[in-house]
Amino acid sequence: MAALLAGCASSGVKNPSGVAVTHINADEQGFVAGTGVESQDMVMVADKMSRSILSIPQIANAATPPTIVLEPVDNQTRFPINKDIFLTRIRAQLNSKARGKVVFLARSEMAALEQERNRKRQGAVTASSDPNVQEFKGADYFLTGSLQGLSTRTAAGTSDYILYDFHLIDARTSAIVWEDSAEMKKQGLEDAAYR
Amino acid sequence: MKSLWQPALLAVLLTLAGCATTPKREVVLTGNVMVDAPNAIAHGPPRDRVLWEYRLAAAAMRQGQFALAKQNLDDALLTLGGIYGNDPNAKKARSYFHAEAKKTFIGEPYERSMAYIYRGILYWMDGEPDNARACFRSAEFEDSDTEKHEYAGDWVLPEYLDGLATTKLHGDGSDAFKRAQAVARGVNLPPYHPEANGLFFVEFGPGPTKFATGRYGEELRFHTAPSPVASAELNVDALRIPIAPTDDVNFQATTRGGRVMDHILGNKAVFKSTTDTVGNVALVGGLATAAASRDRTTEEVGLGIALVGLVSKTISAATVPAADTRSWDNLPCYLSFASVPLPPGTHVATIQFLDPAGQVLPNLTKTITINITTTDRDKVVFVSDTSLTPQTL
Repeated sequence: MAALLAGCASSGVKNPSGVAVTHINADEQGFVAGTGVESQDMVMVADKMSRSILSIPQIANAATPPTIVLEPVDNQTRFPINKDIFLTRIRAQLNSKARGKVVFLARSEMAALEQERNRKRQGAVTASSDPNVQEFKGADYFLTGSLQGLSTRTAAGTSDYILYDFHLIDARTSAIVWEDSAEMKKQGLEDAAYR
Repeated sequence: MKSLWQPALLAVLLTLAGCATTPKREVVLTGNVMVDAPNAIAHGPPRDRVLWEYRLAAAAMRQGQFALAKQNLDDALLTLGGIYGNDPNAKKARSYFHAEAKKTFIGEPYERSMAYIYRGILYWMDGEPDNARACFRSAEFEDSDTEKHEYAGDWVLPEYLDGLATTKLHGDGSDAFKRAQAVARGVNLPPYHPEANGLFFVEFGPGPTKFATGRYGEELRFHTAPSPVASAELNVDALRIPIAPTDDVNFQATTRGGRVMDHILGNKAVFKSTTDTVGNVALVGGLATAAASRDRTTEEVGLGIALVGLVSKTISAATVPAADTRSWDNLPCYLSFASVPLPPGTHVATIQFLDPAGQVLPNLTKTITINITTTDRDKVVFVSDTSLTPQTL
């Protein structure tokens, strides 16, 4: 009877309890909830990219701080993500660490900015400088990137590889003056009850 | 005798005590998913949360409540994306003494794919075709682990839309188009027209539901009803576009093949049957021995065997091999798609649903007023044969 009670209906099933997701980052392992893009990936990638950007001569040796416009990231993975979050993190990191070495332009706020300038030109609101002078800055560089993925699913589990690629484009010459990437691979197996 | 019966009684009581249940979180259902789902999500068992979120999302999309659909799908997909590794409820579902339905519901692969397809439509509606494409890729991915390889990743529309989104994002969608065409059984898919900014997602017919067969209800089966709607027709401006089904959700449900869980449920059923038989033999044999015997020791042995039989019967009764038949029961049978160029301005679109004989089902006709303010962004229109009408987008 004890043998009966100790029996398990799932005997003969490989890994009945499933295998926890393994976060593989070159030589590092950790435990995460899913195989998709998660906050720790975002922080790691954004930190790496912001450090890398600051080291290039175009930024480090610039006589005047170059102006940068952020362009949306192209998500080509199978994971829907908030695409702005990477660029926001990189911008915040650069603004806090670079201390004026780069200037970001708020192109996403252009509609509101133009409206305000027009109000100043019409005299509807006060202006601290001549509103008829064009002071909106043009971009020296565009910062953008892409997320590309490779996913596999077999009876042994799910595996997702994601390549995060970011690059800085010279707005005058279209030359890519900087590019860096980070890659991650995660794998996991769900409980047999879901297979 | 007294010394034998007291511990035996204690053992039986302890066994029965094991069957004691904690208070159930039951919700009273009205039959209206827009009422029942929020109630079940808030007050029902947490293991059913995703099921009700799926149902509410589908119903909300048909009512034009896309923000509500988004909110529920996002939460459901969060659970779906994080099921890896050890899960106490899933472990319970595998044990002899709990039903499969004890596990947190995430649905069978066709249900998971549909959740991603709906979310993809909503992302496209919000002007995020790359996130929509991510969802369509995940929809295919959920279907990639079928028992028979020929049915793996064979959704047509997600593949077709993957290519369309790529084309609209200035990429090369031709590979995805070829893959879609390869699995489109008898349907000639229209080539991509990136300038077509009016995207119509059309669904119709009743989708699959689940039931169980087998001696103990351990075999999961799918019920597919014939659809009264076989196709649709879109009329917008001067255009008249026939819409044939591209995906059959019933087909997707029934071609997945066996699950690992089916093997586990089969083992449970065998265990239940064996313990029942052992119980019968021991109970009858033990009682017969005790009754026939005039020797006190033999009588005690006989009663002991009968007690073992009783415990075995109790264990058999407590074994639950029943398959999980919780279904996303408001899914459609067919999915389809059409795209048309719509210049800025107001357009009135009429979608008629046709029976298998090609006759219009007038009570299902939907009218949608579409306001196009810019051609820089696609206007996504979602229409079901159960959609609210008229709608203004």
